[in-house]
Amino acid sequence: MTVGAAFRTAIVVAVLLVMQFAVQPLMPWRVSPDFLVIALLYAAVRIRPGSAAVLGFALGLVTDSLSLGGFGAGALALTIVGFGASWLKAVFFADNLAINAAFLFLGKWAFDVLYALARHTMSLGQTLAQILLWSVLSAAFTAVVGVVVLAILRPLDPAEARPR
Amino acid sequence: MARAARSGTRFDIAILVLCVVLSLLTLALPQPMRAPVAGALRRTVMAPLVTVQRGTEQWRVAWRESERLALGHDSLVLAAANANALRLENDRLRSLLGLGSRLQWGFVPAEALQATARPGDVITSLVLSAGSNAGIAMYSPVVGPDGVIGLVQSADPTTSIAMLFSNPDFRVSAMTADGGVFGIVYPHAGSGGDGYLLELRNVVFSTLLKPGTQIITSGLGGVFPRGIPVGRVVAEINTTEGWSRTYLLRPAVNPANVTSVMVMTPYRATQGVGNVWALPASAESAQRRVLGAADSLAKRAAALDAARRLARADSIKADSIKADSARADSVRRARAPGGGPS
Repeated sequence: MTVGAAFRTAIVVAVLLVMQFAVQPLMPWRVSPDFLVIALLYAAVRIRPGSAAVLGFALGLVTDSLSLGGFGAGALALTIVGFGASWLKAVFFADNLAINAAFLFLGKWAFDVLYALARHTMSLGQTLAQILLWSVLSAAFTAVVGVVVLAILRPLDPAEARPR
Repeated sequence: MARAARSGTRFDIAILVLCVVLSLLTLALPQPMRAPVAGALRRTVMAPLVTVQRGTEQWRVAWRESERLALGHDSLVLAAANANALRLENDRLRSLLGLGSRLQWGFVPAEALQATARPGDVITSLVLSAGSNAGIAMYSPVVGPDGVIGLVQSADPTTSIAMLFSNPDFRVSAMTADGGVFGIVYPHAGSGGDGYLLELRNVVFSTLLKPGTQIITSGLGGVFPRGIPVGRVVAEINTTEGWSRTYLLRPAVNPANVTSVMVMTPYRATQGVGNVWALPASAESAQRRVLGAADSLAKRAAALDAARRLARADSIKADSIKADSARADSVRRARAPGGGPS
Protein backbone atom coordinates (compact mmCIF):
# COMPACT_ATOMS: atom_id res chain seq x y z
CA MET A 1 0.00 0.00 0.00
CA THR A 2 1.38 3.40 -0.95
CA VAL A 3 1.55 6.29 1.49
CA GLY A 4 -1.23 8.10 -0.38
CA ALA A 5 -3.48 5.05 -0.25
CA ALA A 6 -2.75 4.59 3.45
CA PHE A 7 -3.59 8.25 4.06
CA ARG A 8 -6.86 7.94 2.13
CA THR A 9 -7.75 4.80 4.05
CA ALA A 10 -7.04 6.56 7.34
CA ILE A 11 -9.27 9.48 6.30
CA VAL A 12 -12.11 7.14 5.36
CA VAL A 13 -11.77 5.27 8.64
CA ALA A 14 -11.81 8.57 10.54
CA VAL A 15 -14.91 9.77 8.68
CA LEU A 16 -16.72 6.48 9.35
CA LEU A 17 -15.68 6.68 13.00
CA VAL A 18 -17.18 10.17 13.24
CA MET A 19 -20.31 8.92 11.49
CA GLN A 20 -20.66 6.22 14.13
CA PHE A 21 -21.08 8.97 16.71
CA ALA A 22 -22.80 11.58 14.55
CA VAL A 23 -25.26 9.52 12.52
CA GLN A 24 -26.03 6.47 14.62
CA PRO A 25 -27.62 8.47 17.50
CA LEU A 26 -30.15 9.72 14.94
CA MET A 27 -31.35 6.14 14.55
CA PRO A 28 -32.30 5.20 18.11
CA TRP A 29 -33.72 1.84 17.14
CA ARG A 30 -32.70 -1.60 18.22
CA VAL A 31 -31.43 -2.26 14.70
CA SER A 32 -28.96 0.28 13.37
CA PRO A 33 -25.95 0.26 11.07
CA ASP A 34 -22.51 -0.14 12.62
CA PHE A 35 -20.13 2.30 10.97
CA LEU A 36 -17.30 1.06 13.18
CA VAL A 37 -17.45 -2.39 11.63
CA ILE A 38 -17.68 -0.87 8.14
CA ALA A 39 -14.57 1.20 8.89
CA LEU A 40 -12.68 -1.79 10.23
CA LEU A 41 -13.59 -4.00 7.27
CA TYR A 42 -12.81 -1.19 4.81
CA ALA A 43 -9.33 -0.89 6.31
CA ALA A 44 -8.78 -4.59 7.01
CA VAL A 45 -8.92 -5.60 3.36
CA ARG A 46 -6.22 -3.05 2.61
CA ILE A 47 -3.72 -3.88 5.34
CA ARG A 48 -1.97 -6.94 6.78
CA PRO A 49 -3.86 -9.19 9.23
CA GLY A 50 -1.67 -8.19 12.14
CA SER A 51 -2.28 -4.48 11.50
CA ALA A 52 -6.00 -5.17 11.13
CA ALA A 53 -5.96 -6.93 14.50
CA VAL A 54 -4.25 -3.93 16.12
CA LEU A 55 -6.70 -1.52 14.48
CA GLY A 56 -9.63 -3.66 15.66
CA PHE A 57 -8.21 -3.79 19.17
CA ALA A 58 -7.73 -0.01 19.27
CA LEU A 59 -11.17 0.77 17.89
CA GLY A 60 -12.78 -1.73 20.25
CA LEU A 61 -10.97 -0.43 23.28
CA VAL A 62 -11.85 3.22 22.74
CA THR A 63 -15.49 2.46 22.08
CA ASP A 64 -15.63 0.10 25.05
CA SER A 65 -14.73 3.06 27.21
CA LEU A 66 -18.22 4.47 26.54
CA SER A 67 -20.10 1.33 27.50
CA LEU A 68 -21.07 0.66 31.08
CA GLY A 69 -20.05 -2.98 31.20
CA GLY A 70 -17.95 -5.43 29.23
CA PHE A 71 -14.85 -3.26 28.93
CA GLY A 72 -12.62 -5.24 26.54
CA ALA A 73 -15.43 -7.23 24.87
CA GLY A 74 -15.58 -4.90 21.90
CA ALA A 75 -11.79 -4.93 21.64
CA LEU A 76 -11.73 -8.73 21.57
CA ALA A 77 -14.53 -8.96 19.00
CA LEU A 78 -13.11 -6.32 16.68
CA THR A 79 -9.59 -7.81 16.95
CA ILE A 80 -10.84 -11.18 15.73
CA VAL A 81 -13.12 -9.66 13.07
CA GLY A 82 -10.37 -7.39 11.79
CA PHE A 83 -7.82 -10.19 11.62
CA GLY A 84 -10.32 -12.57 10.01
CA ALA A 85 -11.42 -10.01 7.43
CA SER A 86 -7.86 -9.22 6.47
CA TRP A 87 -6.93 -12.92 6.29
CA LEU A 88 -10.00 -13.79 4.21
CA LYS A 89 -9.77 -10.79 1.89
CA ALA A 90 -8.23 -12.86 -0.90
CA VAL A 91 -11.17 -15.24 -0.67
CA PHE A 92 -13.98 -12.79 -0.25
CA PHE A 93 -13.00 -9.49 -1.72
CA ALA A 94 -14.04 -8.99 -5.29
CA ASP A 95 -15.38 -6.16 -7.34
CA ASN A 96 -18.90 -7.31 -6.77
CA LEU A 97 -21.51 -5.52 -4.68
CA ALA A 98 -23.27 -8.70 -3.58
CA ILE A 99 -20.04 -10.26 -2.31
CA ASN A 100 -19.09 -7.04 -0.56
CA ALA A 101 -22.53 -6.96 1.07
CA ALA A 102 -22.13 -10.58 2.21
CA PHE A 103 -18.66 -9.72 3.55
CA LEU A 104 -20.06 -6.80 5.54
CA PHE A 105 -23.00 -8.87 6.76
CA LEU A 106 -20.74 -11.67 8.01
CA GLY A 107 -18.32 -9.21 9.57
CA LYS A 108 -21.03 -7.40 11.53
CA TRP A 109 -22.78 -10.60 12.56
CA ALA A 110 -19.50 -12.17 13.70
CA PHE A 111 -18.74 -9.05 15.70
CA ASP A 112 -22.16 -9.13 17.39
CA VAL A 113 -21.84 -12.83 18.21
CA LEU A 114 -18.35 -12.43 19.66
CA TYR A 115 -19.35 -9.30 21.55
CA ALA A 116 -22.44 -10.93 23.06
CA LEU A 117 -20.46 -14.00 24.11
CA ALA A 118 -17.54 -12.00 25.47
CA ARG A 119 -19.70 -9.58 27.36
CA HIS A 120 -21.79 -12.37 28.83
CA THR A 121 -24.32 -10.14 30.60
CA MET A 122 -27.52 -11.54 29.07
CA SER A 123 -29.42 -14.71 29.80
CA LEU A 124 -29.25 -17.59 27.34
CA GLY A 125 -32.63 -16.73 25.80
CA GLN A 126 -31.72 -13.08 25.44
CA THR A 127 -28.35 -13.99 23.95
CA LEU A 128 -29.98 -16.30 21.41
CA ALA A 129 -32.58 -13.63 20.49
CA GLN A 130 -29.79 -11.11 20.16
CA ILE A 131 -27.63 -13.36 17.98
CA LEU A 132 -30.34 -14.90 15.83
CA LEU A 133 -32.70 -11.97 15.42
CA TRP A 134 -31.40 -8.52 16.29
CA SER A 135 -27.81 -9.16 15.19
CA VAL A 136 -28.98 -10.59 11.88
CA LEU A 137 -31.16 -7.54 11.25
CA SER A 138 -28.36 -5.18 12.30
CA ALA A 139 -25.94 -7.04 10.06
CA ALA A 140 -28.31 -6.72 7.12
CA PHE A 141 -28.78 -3.00 7.79
CA THR A 142 -25.01 -2.55 8.12
CA ALA A 143 -24.45 -4.44 4.87
CA VAL A 144 -26.88 -2.19 3.00
CA VAL A 145 -25.37 0.99 4.44
CA GLY A 146 -21.84 -0.35 3.89
CA VAL A 147 -22.51 -1.09 0.24
CA VAL A 148 -23.83 2.45 -0.20
CA VAL A 149 -20.75 3.88 1.54
CA LEU A 150 -18.42 1.74 -0.59
CA ALA A 151 -20.24 2.85 -3.74
CA ILE A 152 -19.84 6.49 -2.70
CA LEU A 153 -16.14 6.01 -1.87
CA ARG A 154 -15.31 4.04 -5.02
CA PRO A 155 -14.24 7.11 -7.07
CA LEU A 156 -11.79 8.03 -4.30
CA ASP A 157 -10.37 4.54 -4.18
CA PRO A 158 -7.44 4.10 -6.61
CA ALA A 159 -7.15 0.72 -8.23
CA GLU A 160 -3.75 0.04 -6.75
CA ALA A 161 -5.05 0.44 -3.24
CA ARG A 162 -7.66 -2.23 -3.72
CA PRO A 163 -6.62 -5.72 -2.66
CA ARG A 164 -6.02 -8.20 -5.37
CA MET B 1 9.95 -15.66 -0.83
CA ALA B 2 7.86 -18.40 0.75
CA ARG B 3 10.00 -18.10 3.86
CA ALA B 4 9.34 -14.38 4.07
CA ALA B 5 5.61 -14.97 3.68
CA ARG B 6 5.69 -17.62 6.38
CA SER B 7 7.51 -15.32 8.78
CA GLY B 8 5.05 -12.53 7.98
CA THR B 9 2.12 -14.82 8.75
CA ARG B 10 3.74 -15.87 12.01
CA PHE B 11 4.22 -12.22 12.90
CA ASP B 12 0.55 -11.49 12.15
CA ILE B 13 -0.57 -14.42 14.27
CA ALA B 14 1.68 -13.29 17.09
CA ILE B 15 0.12 -9.84 16.98
CA LEU B 16 -3.35 -11.36 16.92
CA VAL B 17 -2.53 -13.50 19.94
CA LEU B 18 -1.12 -10.47 21.72
CA CYS B 19 -4.25 -8.38 21.01
CA VAL B 20 -6.56 -11.21 22.06
CA VAL B 21 -4.62 -11.70 25.28
CA LEU B 22 -4.72 -7.98 25.98
CA SER B 23 -8.47 -7.93 25.31
CA LEU B 24 -9.02 -10.85 27.67
CA LEU B 25 -6.89 -9.17 30.29
CA THR B 26 -8.92 -6.00 29.88
CA LEU B 27 -12.12 -8.03 30.22
CA ALA B 28 -10.79 -9.66 33.34
CA LEU B 29 -9.78 -6.39 34.96
CA PRO B 30 -11.64 -5.74 38.21
CA GLN B 31 -14.06 -2.82 38.18
CA PRO B 32 -11.90 -0.42 40.29
CA MET B 33 -9.07 -0.83 37.76
CA ARG B 34 -11.29 -0.60 34.65
CA ALA B 35 -12.84 2.72 35.57
CA PRO B 36 -9.63 4.81 35.53
CA VAL B 37 -8.55 3.32 32.17
CA ALA B 38 -11.98 3.88 30.57
CA GLY B 39 -12.16 7.36 32.09
CA ALA B 40 -8.74 8.28 30.70
CA LEU B 41 -9.79 7.08 27.23
CA ARG B 42 -13.05 9.06 27.44
CA ARG B 43 -11.21 12.20 28.46
CA THR B 44 -8.55 11.95 25.73
CA VAL B 45 -9.13 9.92 22.58
CA MET B 46 -12.89 9.78 22.80
CA ALA B 47 -13.45 13.39 23.91
CA PRO B 48 -14.00 14.82 20.38
CA LEU B 49 -16.23 11.91 19.42
CA VAL B 50 -18.23 12.26 22.60
CA THR B 51 -18.66 15.95 21.78
CA VAL B 52 -19.91 15.01 18.31
CA GLN B 53 -22.32 12.49 19.81
CA ARG B 54 -23.57 15.06 22.33
CA GLY B 55 -24.18 17.56 19.52
CA THR B 56 -26.08 14.95 17.53
CA GLU B 57 -28.20 14.06 20.56
CA GLN B 58 -28.97 17.72 21.17
CA TRP B 59 -29.91 18.17 17.53
CA ARG B 60 -32.21 15.12 17.71
CA VAL B 61 -33.85 16.41 20.88
CA ALA B 62 -34.28 19.84 19.29
CA TRP B 63 -35.81 18.24 16.19
CA ARG B 64 -38.25 16.24 18.32
CA GLU B 65 -39.07 19.31 20.33
CA SER B 66 -39.75 21.32 17.19
CA GLU B 67 -42.01 18.53 15.92
CA ARG B 68 -43.82 18.51 19.26
CA LEU B 69 -44.17 22.29 19.13
CA ALA B 70 -45.49 22.13 15.57
CA LEU B 71 -48.03 19.53 16.67
CA GLY B 72 -49.01 21.70 19.62
CA HIS B 73 -49.32 24.71 17.33
CA ASP B 74 -51.51 22.73 14.92
CA SER B 75 -53.80 21.57 17.72
CA LEU B 76 -54.01 25.13 19.03
CA VAL B 77 -54.98 26.41 15.59
CA LEU B 78 -57.60 23.67 15.36
CA ALA B 79 -58.88 24.52 18.83
CA ALA B 80 -59.01 28.20 17.88
CA ALA B 81 -60.98 27.36 14.73
CA ASN B 82 -63.37 25.24 16.77
CA ALA B 83 -63.64 27.99 19.37
CA ASN B 84 -64.64 30.45 16.68
CA ALA B 85 -67.31 28.05 15.35
CA LEU B 86 -68.53 27.46 18.90
CA ARG B 87 -68.67 31.19 19.55
CA LEU B 88 -70.74 31.73 16.41
CA GLU B 89 -73.08 28.90 17.37
CA ASN B 90 -73.29 30.28 20.89
CA ASP B 91 -74.23 33.69 19.52
CA ARG B 92 -76.90 32.12 17.32
CA LEU B 93 -78.34 30.12 20.20
CA ARG B 94 -78.24 33.13 22.49
CA SER B 95 -80.16 35.22 19.98
CA LEU B 96 -82.62 32.37 19.54
CA LEU B 97 -83.05 32.15 23.31
CA GLY B 98 -83.58 35.89 23.39
CA LEU B 99 -86.28 35.58 20.74
CA GLY B 100 -87.86 32.73 22.69
CA SER B 101 -87.98 34.75 25.88
CA ARG B 102 -89.52 37.69 24.01
CA LEU B 103 -92.11 35.55 22.23
CA GLN B 104 -92.88 33.94 25.61
CA TRP B 105 -95.29 31.31 24.31
CA GLY B 106 -96.65 29.58 21.20
CA PHE B 107 -93.45 28.57 19.49
CA VAL B 108 -91.53 25.36 18.95
CA PRO B 109 -87.73 25.42 18.74
CA ALA B 110 -86.35 23.06 16.10
CA GLU B 111 -83.09 22.05 14.56
CA ALA B 112 -82.80 22.79 10.86
CA LEU B 113 -81.31 19.89 8.96
CA GLN B 114 -80.00 21.15 5.66
CA ALA B 115 -79.90 18.89 2.66
CA THR B 116 -76.37 18.51 1.34
CA ALA B 117 -76.15 20.83 -1.59
CA ARG B 118 -73.28 21.65 -3.90
CA PRO B 119 -71.58 24.97 -3.28
CA GLY B 120 -73.53 27.65 -5.10
CA ASP B 121 -76.80 25.74 -5.04
CA VAL B 122 -79.77 27.63 -3.66
CA ILE B 123 -81.39 25.90 -0.69
CA THR B 124 -85.16 26.10 -0.97
CA SER B 125 -86.30 23.79 1.83
CA LEU B 126 -85.26 22.58 5.24
CA VAL B 127 -86.10 19.53 7.29
CA LEU B 128 -87.04 20.51 10.83
CA SER B 129 -86.54 18.26 13.83
CA ALA B 130 -90.03 18.92 15.25
CA GLY B 131 -93.42 17.99 13.83
CA SER B 132 -97.12 17.86 14.48
CA ASN B 133 -96.61 16.19 17.87
CA ALA B 134 -95.05 19.45 19.02
CA GLY B 135 -97.93 21.53 17.65
CA ILE B 136 -96.52 22.36 14.23
CA ALA B 137 -99.04 22.48 11.39
CA MET B 138 -98.98 23.25 7.70
CA TYR B 139 -98.25 26.95 6.98
CA SER B 140 -96.81 27.54 10.44
CA PRO B 141 -94.37 30.49 10.17
CA VAL B 142 -90.69 29.57 10.51
CA VAL B 143 -88.70 32.43 11.93
CA GLY B 144 -85.31 33.19 13.39
CA PRO B 145 -83.85 35.91 15.59
CA ASP B 146 -83.24 38.01 12.48
CA GLY B 147 -86.59 37.55 10.77
CA VAL B 148 -88.58 35.46 8.33
CA ILE B 149 -87.09 32.14 7.21
CA GLY B 150 -90.05 30.40 5.58
CA LEU B 151 -93.17 28.42 6.39
CA VAL B 152 -93.99 24.80 7.06
CA GLN B 153 -95.02 22.94 3.95
CA SER B 154 -95.75 19.56 5.51
CA ALA B 155 -95.74 18.36 9.09
CA ASP B 156 -95.13 14.76 10.10
CA PRO B 157 -95.45 13.67 13.73
CA THR B 158 -91.77 14.14 14.53
CA THR B 159 -90.37 16.10 11.62
CA SER B 160 -91.59 18.72 9.22
CA ILE B 161 -90.44 20.27 5.99
CA ALA B 162 -90.17 24.02 5.70
CA MET B 163 -90.34 25.99 2.48
CA LEU B 164 -87.71 28.72 2.58
CA PHE B 165 -88.25 32.21 1.20
CA SER B 166 -85.93 31.22 -1.61
CA ASN B 167 -88.51 28.71 -2.86
CA PRO B 168 -90.19 29.91 -6.09
CA ASP B 169 -93.66 29.34 -4.53
CA PHE B 170 -93.00 31.52 -1.49
CA ARG B 171 -94.97 34.75 -1.05
CA VAL B 172 -95.46 37.06 1.90
CA SER B 173 -97.30 40.33 2.26
CA ALA B 174 -94.92 43.01 3.46
CA MET B 175 -94.62 46.71 4.20
CA THR B 176 -92.12 49.29 5.30
CA ALA B 177 -91.46 49.54 9.01
CA ASP B 178 -93.53 52.74 9.25
CA GLY B 179 -96.46 51.06 7.47
CA GLY B 180 -96.48 53.58 4.65
CA VAL B 181 -95.77 51.30 1.70
CA PHE B 182 -97.11 47.82 1.05
CA GLY B 183 -96.18 45.09 -1.40
CA ILE B 184 -95.79 41.39 -1.94
CA VAL B 185 -92.41 39.72 -1.40
CA TYR B 186 -91.34 37.13 -3.97
CA PRO B 187 -88.07 35.21 -4.30
CA HIS B 188 -85.70 36.79 -6.76
CA ALA B 189 -84.86 34.52 -9.68
CA GLY B 190 -81.11 34.14 -9.53
CA SER B 191 -78.37 31.70 -8.79
CA GLY B 192 -75.52 31.49 -6.29
CA GLY B 193 -75.48 34.43 -3.90
CA ASP B 194 -78.28 36.19 -5.82
CA GLY B 195 -80.57 33.19 -5.27
CA TYR B 196 -81.34 34.35 -1.76
CA LEU B 197 -82.37 37.87 -2.75
CA LEU B 198 -86.04 38.84 -2.64
CA GLU B 199 -88.27 41.18 -4.61
CA LEU B 200 -90.85 43.53 -3.19
CA ARG B 201 -93.41 43.82 -5.96
CA ASN B 202 -96.60 45.79 -6.49
CA VAL B 203 -95.35 48.85 -4.66
CA VAL B 204 -97.41 51.94 -5.50
CA PHE B 205 -95.68 53.79 -8.31
CA SER B 206 -95.85 57.15 -6.59
CA THR B 207 -93.69 56.02 -3.67
CA LEU B 208 -89.95 55.72 -3.70
CA LEU B 209 -88.04 53.55 -1.25
CA LYS B 210 -84.48 54.40 -0.33
CA PRO B 211 -81.83 51.65 -0.20
CA GLY B 212 -81.59 50.28 3.33
CA THR B 213 -85.28 50.74 4.12
CA GLN B 214 -86.43 47.90 6.34
CA ILE B 215 -89.28 45.72 5.11
CA ILE B 216 -91.37 43.75 7.58
CA THR B 217 -94.33 41.41 7.32
CA SER B 218 -97.65 43.23 7.14
CA GLY B 219 -99.82 40.50 8.63
CA LEU B 220 -102.23 40.73 5.70
CA GLY B 221 -101.49 37.35 4.19
CA GLY B 222 -102.89 35.41 7.14
CA VAL B 223 -99.78 33.29 7.66
CA PHE B 224 -97.16 35.61 9.11
CA PRO B 225 -98.11 38.03 11.88
CA ARG B 226 -97.24 41.67 11.46
CA GLY B 227 -93.80 42.98 12.35
CA ILE B 228 -91.33 40.24 11.44
CA PRO B 229 -88.32 41.57 9.47
CA VAL B 230 -88.11 40.32 5.90
CA GLY B 231 -85.15 42.29 4.60
CA ARG B 232 -83.84 45.65 3.46
CA VAL B 233 -84.19 47.44 0.17
CA VAL B 234 -81.12 47.16 -2.06
CA ALA B 235 -82.28 48.92 -5.21
CA GLU B 236 -85.20 49.35 -7.54
CA ILE B 237 -85.54 46.86 -10.37
CA ASN B 238 -86.60 48.15 -13.75
CA THR B 239 -89.66 46.25 -14.78
CA THR B 240 -91.93 46.50 -17.79
CA GLU B 241 -94.97 47.17 -15.61
CA GLY B 242 -95.60 50.88 -15.57
CA TRP B 243 -98.12 51.15 -12.75
CA SER B 244 -96.09 49.73 -9.86
CA ARG B 245 -92.51 49.49 -8.70
CA THR B 246 -90.43 46.46 -7.79
CA TYR B 247 -87.54 46.59 -5.34
CA LEU B 248 -84.72 44.15 -4.76
CA LEU B 249 -84.41 43.14 -1.09
CA ARG B 250 -81.54 41.67 0.82
CA PRO B 251 -83.14 39.14 3.19
CA ALA B 252 -82.71 39.51 6.92
CA VAL B 253 -81.71 35.84 7.19
CA ASN B 254 -79.19 33.87 5.17
CA PRO B 255 -80.71 30.37 4.80
CA ALA B 256 -77.29 28.83 4.29
CA ASN B 257 -76.40 29.73 7.89
CA VAL B 258 -79.61 28.58 9.51
CA THR B 259 -79.10 25.77 11.99
CA SER B 260 -81.85 26.41 14.55
CA VAL B 261 -85.27 27.95 14.02
CA MET B 262 -88.47 28.84 15.84
CA VAL B 263 -91.76 27.57 14.45
CA MET B 264 -94.73 29.61 15.55
CA THR B 265 -97.90 27.67 16.23
CA PRO B 266 -100.87 28.77 14.09
CA TYR B 267 -102.68 30.18 17.09
CA ARG B 268 -99.66 32.21 18.16
CA ALA B 269 -99.43 33.59 14.62
CA THR B 270 -102.97 34.89 14.82
CA GLN B 271 -102.27 36.66 18.12
CA GLY B 272 -99.53 38.87 16.68
CA VAL B 273 -96.00 39.36 17.89
CA GLY B 274 -96.08 43.04 18.78
CA ASN B 275 -92.62 44.57 18.63
CA VAL B 276 -90.71 41.40 19.49
CA TRP B 277 -88.27 41.91 16.63
CA ALA B 278 -88.07 45.67 17.16
CA LEU B 279 -86.98 45.27 20.80
CA PRO B 280 -83.37 44.25 20.18
CA ALA B 281 -82.92 47.20 17.82
CA SER B 282 -84.44 49.65 20.30
CA ALA B 283 -82.41 48.13 23.11
CA GLU B 284 -79.32 48.52 20.99
CA SER B 285 -80.10 52.13 20.16
CA ALA B 286 -80.85 52.79 23.85
CA GLN B 287 -77.51 51.26 24.75
CA ARG B 288 -75.84 53.42 22.12
CA ARG B 289 -77.57 56.49 23.58
CA VAL B 290 -76.48 55.57 27.11
CA LEU B 291 -72.92 55.04 25.94
CA GLY B 292 -73.00 58.34 24.04
CA ALA B 293 -74.31 60.16 27.10
CA ALA B 294 -71.64 58.55 29.25
CA ASP B 295 -69.02 59.61 26.72
CA SER B 296 -70.22 63.20 26.68
CA LEU B 297 -70.34 63.26 30.49
CA ALA B 298 -66.80 61.92 30.63
CA LYS B 299 -65.70 64.51 28.07
CA ARG B 300 -67.34 67.30 30.05
CA ALA B 301 -65.73 66.08 33.29
CA ALA B 302 -62.33 65.91 31.56
CA ALA B 303 -62.76 69.44 30.18
CA LEU B 304 -63.73 70.74 33.65
CA ASP B 305 -60.77 69.01 35.21
CA ALA B 306 -58.42 70.46 32.59
CA ALA B 307 -59.84 73.95 33.13
CA ARG B 308 -59.44 73.59 36.89
CA ARG B 309 -55.83 72.44 36.49
CA LEU B 310 -55.15 75.36 34.14
CA ALA B 311 -56.63 77.83 36.60
CA ARG B 312 -54.59 76.36 39.46
CA ALA B 313 -51.42 76.57 37.38
CA ASP B 314 -52.21 80.19 36.48
CA SER B 315 -52.72 81.15 40.11
CA ILE B 316 -49.49 79.41 41.17
CA LYS B 317 -47.65 81.21 38.39
CA ALA B 318 -49.14 84.55 39.41
CA ASP B 319 -48.24 83.94 43.07
CA SER B 320 -44.66 83.05 42.21
CA ILE B 321 -44.30 86.14 39.96
CA LYS B 322 -45.65 88.28 42.81
CA ALA B 323 -43.22 86.72 45.28
CA ASP B 324 -40.31 87.15 42.87
CA SER B 325 -41.08 90.81 42.26
CA ALA B 326 -41.43 91.43 46.03
CA ARG B 327 -38.08 89.75 46.62
CA ALA B 328 -36.47 91.79 43.81
CA ASP B 329 -37.90 94.99 45.29
CA SER B 330 -36.52 94.20 48.74
CA VAL B 331 -33.09 93.37 47.29
CA ARG B 332 -33.11 96.58 45.27
CA ARG B 333 -34.06 98.53 48.38
CA ALA B 334 -31.28 96.85 50.36
CA ARG B 335 -28.66 97.65 47.71
CA ALA B 336 -29.81 101.26 47.27
CA PRO B 337 -27.57 103.81 49.13
CA GLY B 338 -29.05 104.60 52.49
CA GLY B 339 -31.59 101.94 52.00
CA GLY B 340 -32.05 99.00 54.30
CA PRO B 341 -34.53 97.26 56.35
CA SER B 342 -36.33 99.75 58.34
